Amino acid sequence: MAGQAGEGGTQGSKTRPAHRRVAQWTRDYARLPGIPDEYIAQDGTPRAVWTRFFDAFATLSPADIERRFGAADRHLREAGVTYRAPGESADRLWPLSHLPLLIGEADWQQLTAGIAQRAQLLELVLRDLYGEGRLVAEGAIPAAAIAGSTEYLRPVCGIKPPGGRYLNLYAADVGRGPDGRWWVLGDRTQAPSGAGYALENRLVLSRAFASLYKSMNVERVAPFFEAFRDALRGSADRDEPRIGLLTPGGFSETYFEHATLARYLGFLLVEGDDLAVSGDRIHIRTVAGLKRLDVLLRRVDSNFLDPLELDASSHLGVPGLIDVLRKNGVVVANMPGSGVLEARALLGFLPSLSRRFFDEDLKMPHIATWWCGQKAAREEVLSRLGEVAIEGAYGRGVPGFQSHGPVLAGELPPAERERLRSAINDRGIDYVGQELVRLSTMPVWDQGRITPRPFVLRVFAAATPDGWTIMPGGFCRIAEQLDARAVSMGDGARAADVWVVSDKAVSTATLLPTVDTVRIRRIAGVVPSRAADNLFWLGRYLERAEATLRLIRALGTPMRDPGKGPTTTLHSVERIQRLLVTWGATSLAARAQPARIAAEALQSPERFGSALSLVRSAQRTATSLRERLSPDAWQVITEMAERLGQEVEDDDGVVSAAELTLQELASFAGLAQENMNRAAGWRFLEMGRRAERAINTVRFARQFAYDEAGDEDLDVLLTLVDCQITYRSRYLVGPLLAPVRDLAVLDPYNPRSVAFQVSALNEHIAALPSLKEHGLIERPQRLAVALQATLATTEAETLEVKTLFSLEQDLLTLADAIGLHYFPHGPNASRPEKLTGLA
Amino acid sequence: MIYDIRHLTTYAYENPVSFARCSLRLEPKSADGQQLIAHAVEIRPRPAARAARYDFFGTHTESVLIETAHRHLRIDSRSRVKVARHALDRAAPSRPWETVRDVAFEATSLGPSSPIGYIFASPLVPVLAPVTAYASMSFPPGRGILAGAVDLMNRIRSGFKYDPKATVISTPLREVFEKRRGVCQDFAHLMIAGLRGLGLPAAYVSGYLRTVPPPGKPRLQGADATHAWVSLWCGEGPGWIGFDPTNDLLIENDHIVLAVGRDFSDVSPVDGIIVGSRKQKLGVAVDVLLVD
Repeated sequence: MAGQAGEGGTQGSKTRPAHRRVAQWTRDYARLPGIPDEYIAQDGTPRAVWTRFFDAFATLSPADIERRFGAADRHLREAGVTYRAPGESADRLWPLSHLPLLIGEADWQQLTAGIAQRAQLLELVLRDLYGEGRLVAEGAIPAAAIAGSTEYLRPVCGIKPPGGRYLNLYAADVGRGPDGRWWVLGDRTQAPSGAGYALENRLVLSRAFASLYKSMNVERVAPFFEAFRDALRGSADRDEPRIGLLTPGGFSETYFEHATLARYLGFLLVEGDDLAVSGDRIHIRTVAGLKRLDVLLRRVDSNFLDPLELDASSHLGVPGLIDVLRKNGVVVANMPGSGVLEARALLGFLPSLSRRFFDEDLKMPHIATWWCGQKAAREEVLSRLGEVAIEGAYGRGVPGFQSHGPVLAGELPPAERERLRSAINDRGIDYVGQELVRLSTMPVWDQGRITPRPFVLRVFAAATPDGWTIMPGGFCRIAEQLDARAVSMGDGARAADVWVVSDKAVSTATLLPTVDTVRIRRIAGVVPSRAADNLFWLGRYLERAEATLRLIRALGTPMRDPGKGPTTTLHSVERIQRLLVTWGATSLAARAQPARIAAEALQSPERFGSALSLVRSAQRTATSLRERLSPDAWQVITEMAERLGQEVEDDDGVVSAAELTLQELASFAGLAQENMNRAAGWRFLEMGRRAERAINTVRFARQFAYDEAGDEDLDVLLTLVDCQITYRSRYLVGPLLAPVRDLAVLDPYNPRSVAFQVSALNEHIAALPSLKEHGLIERPQRLAVALQATLATTEAETLEVKTLFSLEQDLLTLADAIGLHYFPHGPNASRPEKLTGLA
Repeated sequence: MIYDIRHLTTYAYENPVSFARCSLRLEPKSADGQQLIAHAVEIRPRPAARAARYDFFGTHTESVLIETAHRHLRIDSRSRVKVARHALDRAAPSRPWETVRDVAFEATSLGPSSPIGYIFASPLVPVLAPVTAYASMSFPPGRGILAGAVDLMNRIRSGFKYDPKATVISTPLREVFEKRRGVCQDFAHLMIAGLRGLGLPAAYVSGYLRTVPPPGKPRLQGADATHAWVSLWCGEGPGWIGFDPTNDLLIENDHIVLAVGRDFSDVSPVDGIIVGSRKQKLGVAVDVLLVD
């Protein structure tokens, strides 16, 4: 990462301009009237933590600051940190605000104590609601405040949560009120998001401002994740449990975060289709058959978890999951149904519940909330309708009103206000009134100056055997508009890192375990069938892109540099073009100019077989594999897609784009070869590549080494399979049919020949576990062994085009057989269908 | 009265099904004026495992696992049930509906018979403003809840056409309301939506109707399949009262209750997932014979 030295320096020459800069920033910092601020206290004096920060920050020159911000943004872009706004299909780059939110030690202690107390209270409430039910029976919570939530899951009632608790991860959205205290705005008990983004924000900012970060004594977040992971591990009923992170899949808004967390925590990233119930346990479908899964950290909402007992239309869950919970067969974090406590209707009852359970008041207040299901509260709300925000009591918008956020009665036209009033009178149970609180603002960087913006901070708490552990830091969202009543990432908001600043130096734990706690292992866990499927196709797409690029290069090279390469006559141009058409890379008529064909095959987004489309398919596939790919590998794919997506100016540009992309493909192959663990996952990537290369090479041979092929054709083939040099060193004559065929198809020592690919495929298949116990040779292996035998016993002199054709068919059959055998759509693991109809 | 009930469900698949996991809710309740005398369910192909429990709503639920490859699934349920209910006069006096609503809102139980579980939208029954407005015409201020519900039931019976071709299980309620046609399930969902919109607790009941009507009475709509109707909570004293909007009837001895829930999704008699075939054909046949 760019420059880590020279910041935060205290040389005298730097101090004075630094002072002046801080003074200038502070003078220009226009606080909003009547609204508290993080940097400048009510009495107009700057807070100590911020002063410390800005003093150090100001020693960086303006150019240096911009350079570091640029480095942070580049890292986010290259790492592919993205999110998706609701209703959009394209990923957006993560908008990081470059200044962190600073929280001093004293403030942080207030927050920590409040959040831990609240988390424990909510755990106890859940335990009662789904267990004995005394709180409702004794009137401490109105039944309606629970029953109205779609997250109150009746099938879960009476089930003791395996692992012993409902909440494993809890989050609260908080903001600082006018009185200087932190206030809870809402509880996240279902499957809180944001912890992974917080991690990513920290990574980026601490790298861009390494010494500043160090000098500020910022509490590390790694120990929090470590504690969370250990607690989940400890909740399972065996040593070395297998833990999965259940994601809705690549279309989810926060999929990147799921992949980040899975990779960071060492969990398997799984989708519902990857899991199956068998014998009262949850299992994961892997290339080695079903493997027991002990703990499921879910990012799928409760109602979608089990089509048998919950939302019947869901394809995101596991049929039978709830029954497995009933039989204590899997730990699900958080326990399905925990989301019921996100209902705003409950907020008003928590203070008395705290006194009931702990005999103490809530340490942290929450935003004043009146549930209109009770007469006194309803009348209070109706009497002050103009001054409060009306929200749905259970968090699904405001019933009867089209609005994402709260309805402000004061801003409604009179008729609408009356409609709201009568709705609250008729079905008060559906509404809450909330105090409109003015929350504090924090500084954000805006073109060389700082300016205040409202924000919401999400604080995370993990349940551990020793109580609740709070992440020192969190996920901070900053509103662009100055009126911060609803902050969500969809509204063009930015995120910021959160620094809990200590007066003393902090410990520097990371997730790397200490040596004596770890058992030595060499195989990195299991490979889910879906991941294997994606790896296989990633290999195939990239290899097909390579073949396409080689054809483009062969088509384009002579026109750029007539002296170099084979003299491509119209005849071989036609043959290259025929391949590109079969491939789906171009549709241009036979008489079209080679340059136009090459350009279309390179980057037409409409042609599914163009290099651009293939690389994009590879990128899409890689998205589902993010937790398994190194950042470098991901970056190579992103760069290829970006390059091919840019318009190329002329014929030269086509060839050089093809050449650069070929180099990147080679570097991806190198990364896979040198950096990927030789476990089953790597084998599938390799098998995809080998199968595709074998198929493409046979196709090349059919086109350019047909029975009557001439010099130029054979020369093109040698170029396509990268064997010009080998051929010339072996044979001191011009290209002849039999030697060229031997080199391209039969030679087991040539890494680009068909025989080489088939023997590699054989090796991989033999190394994979067999799925059946019958002891018979399985189909992919049978096909591969037969192919290898054919290739080993065929002689170049008697090889016919007919044989090439049947080789191609056999290779296609083998690729399909691998898919059917190991992947989720195979008979090994079919997707369940719903029984339909009114029965 | 004692009935013998046969409820036969068959599935025919285009491709062999290698695996099925089903939930069966086929055992009639022993409560509220009826008593189960005998019950048996036969399943072909023979299941690898069967396990029974009572679900949240007190419905007997059997989980069935089939691991034998099959093209036909046959679930044959036979029950003998004794029914002895007291008829309720359609014109009987009752408390004002607003009072019932306000009492329901104050419930202190989340249990299956508490009214509180039945005043909110449920998976198949949204609360829709036009449907609430439609229902509210039967409930002018201060009207007795029984009179209001009878009027609403009567309006659905006369204003909607029974048409098995008009809807499928997934037809949204809004469409049923706009088309003014559907089957017993749609009418039950519609009446429930209207009542809940007003804040009144309404449950969905699945069950059977006697096949052959009493002498001199017309054959009832829905008698050759499973039937569905509405149960409305009318206050602490009267409790839950059954209304059949398809036939404009208060529930008496011609109806046999199978299961009660918030809507069809809580009580569907046969539910499940299969592996192996996309296309499937469902057959349901019900016979309800009076034996005594």
